[in-house]
Amino acid sequence: MTSHPTSPHRTSSLDRRSLLKGFGALGGAAAGMLGTAAVARADDISSPVTTAPESNRTAERVDFYGVHQSGIVTPRPATGMVVAFDVLATTRPDLERLFRTLTERIAFLMQGGAPPKLDPKLPPADSGILGPVVVPDNLTVTVSVGASLFDERFGLAPKKPRHLNAMEQFPNDALDPDLCHGDLMLQFCSNTADTNIHALRDIVKNLPDLLLVRWKQEGSVPMIAARPGAKAESARNFLGFRDGSANPDSADAAVMERVVWVKGGEEPDWAANGSYQVVRIIRNFVERWDRTPLLEQEEIFGRKKASGAPFGGHTEQDVPNYAADPKGRQTRLDAHIRLANPRTSATQANLILRRPFNYSNGISKSGQLEMGLLFIAYQADLEQGFITVQKRLNGEPLEEYIKPIGGGYFFALPGVSGPSDFLGSALLAPGEPT
Amino acid sequence: MKRSVLMLATALSLSLGALQAQAAVSPLDLVAPIAQYKVYVTKELDAFVAATKDFTDAVKAGDLAKAKTLYASARAHYERIEPIAELFSDLDGAIDSRADDHAKKEKDPTFTGYHRIEYGLFVTNSTDGLAPFADKLMADVNDLQARVKGLTFPPEKVVGGAAALLEEVAATKISGEEDRYSHTDLMDFQANIDGAQEVYTLFKPLLAKDAKNEAFLKKVDANFASVDAILVKYKTADGFESYDKLSKKDRKALAGPVNTLAEDLSKMRGLLGLK
Repeated sequence: MTSHPTSPHRTSSLDRRSLLKGFGALGGAAAGMLGTAAVARADDISSPVTTAPESNRTAERVDFYGVHQSGIVTPRPATGMVVAFDVLATTRPDLERLFRTLTERIAFLMQGGAPPKLDPKLPPADSGILGPVVVPDNLTVTVSVGASLFDERFGLAPKKPRHLNAMEQFPNDALDPDLCHGDLMLQFCSNTADTNIHALRDIVKNLPDLLLVRWKQEGSVPMIAARPGAKAESARNFLGFRDGSANPDSADAAVMERVVWVKGGEEPDWAANGSYQVVRIIRNFVERWDRTPLLEQEEIFGRKKASGAPFGGHTEQDVPNYAADPKGRQTRLDAHIRLANPRTSATQANLILRRPFNYSNGISKSGQLEMGLLFIAYQADLEQGFITVQKRLNGEPLEEYIKPIGGGYFFALPGVSGPSDFLGSALLAPGEPT
Repeated sequence: MKRSVLMLATALSLSLGALQAQAAVSPLDLVAPIAQYKVYVTKELDAFVAATKDFTDAVKAGDLAKAKTLYASARAHYERIEPIAELFSDLDGAIDSRADDHAKKEKDPTFTGYHRIEYGLFVTNSTDGLAPFADKLMADVNDLQARVKGLTFPPEKVVGGAAALLEEVAATKISGEEDRYSHTDLMDFQANIDGAQEVYTLFKPLLAKDAKNEAFLKKVDANFASVDAILVKYKTADGFESYDKLSKKDRKALAGPVNTLAEDLSKMRGLLGLK
């Protein structure tokens, strides 16, 4: 297969590209299985050091239009970023202009294409960091609103989702006010961090009078080697454990309907097909964790570190049988996974869809690594979902190694039905609130 | 063949766009407003030299209270004409650099100028040891005046100065880090805005010749008005309230018009046919 023996990865990436063309229609998830690069050989000097690394996934595109927003049950790509904003609009018409412009920008960024060419004496329309043609690169931008958007400014108070409030401080939290809350939350996800940054800069440039960045956190997910035919594995967090093993199946529409999407009737009508979003910046004390015996790490989580299997199981998908272990001899009663999901019929109501990233931000004043989990979760009922789960977790032994420092509660808006619709159209529609 | 046609088409559309942008303004039209701007700069510089004289005299006389009072208003003259003053980067560094720009911060011997003296007056709370800095500042300011006298004002620097001043505000005035010892940032804030507004006002008639710019000008006017309306709330008899008095709400309310002005004024050079 290799036609040019000195640059094996170039040839193989071409092969992959033609293979992927066929997969394009099947969607990004299938293509992802093939994304492993061939091993670069030490003697490969065919290209200069500054040659751009190649990706055969830049054309991957997620649909912007739909009943629900993308970026929630969409398979999670390798990089994510959350950015909270203060809304600077002071009137309803300006708020509508904000949502219409956001819709227009996100639709373009997720579709990709060439930005308009302006008179070169003017600043360019686009930052250009993805080149003259913007590639979609699997980008999703998911828009959520915070409780503060429903204050007196826009008269939206009667439309506030029932459970949407400013995130409370839990006992183990040390929340930094500069990393919390916001009127608006944008979640960017794509194959590369640069694509997320490009999208953010586009939005910041196009909405200077309406949006002000409040805080931001980037994250990533470690990639693993593709294993054709094998069962999917959950990615690992910065504590080295698989995260998401017990997640409800995001490909199962009926489950998502129950766990993730808000239905009419329980909430203001406009909120149907939206979802409560929880964002938490959870610092991990990784040096200390790395100095903790493996057995203790596993007991704290309730899973084997290497396989992700629960005690007594073989794979991460195995379901622990807590009923047969009432005293916690196999899995401690205060193990993280046992508290988070006790696997009883009653606690089925507390399921949430987690979609987290790992983050790393430089170092602390004492020279320790500032890194951890950018926790993101979606649920149809915030009270029954995250808040109930977190209350069960309060006081867990894992707390010695983690410290939530920021985040907020938000409500992900319903989807945009088509080019004539816009994000938040139902929220802003005049008429009787329910 | 196909490709060259495409390139030609692209080149054509680009040059058409360029023509469109500068249709109403010829380079000669820029002469009068630039001359007027030079008059403005000269006046501000004269005032800056005089105010710096009073300020440095007070420092050298050991009159701490007087030096503190004169500090913010003297600097304002500089902040209004910063785009021109900045053309002499050695002097800008000597007169207006902040401790961050120096390896040893406040203790660095190369840290001189207004902010070095500000540090002495407002943190050490004394004029002790400040006389050499006062002498150097006065000499540098005199030097600046002499150099600007001989300067041919580059049109793109003058027009671009409006945007540059807004970048200053957006980057360091909104945060209150400019005058971190005296907290007199709002004076600098207003001076930057005034300086930008001066440039904008001088060139506005040229922009107004083109009906296409009507919405642009209206928007810029409105945003200058919004900023001024917020700042005026903090005016006192002899300057401005301390930066920490600026409410969180007003700080946020300033960010929108400031960032929008920065975006809009960055188009002024192009709209006037300048590079």
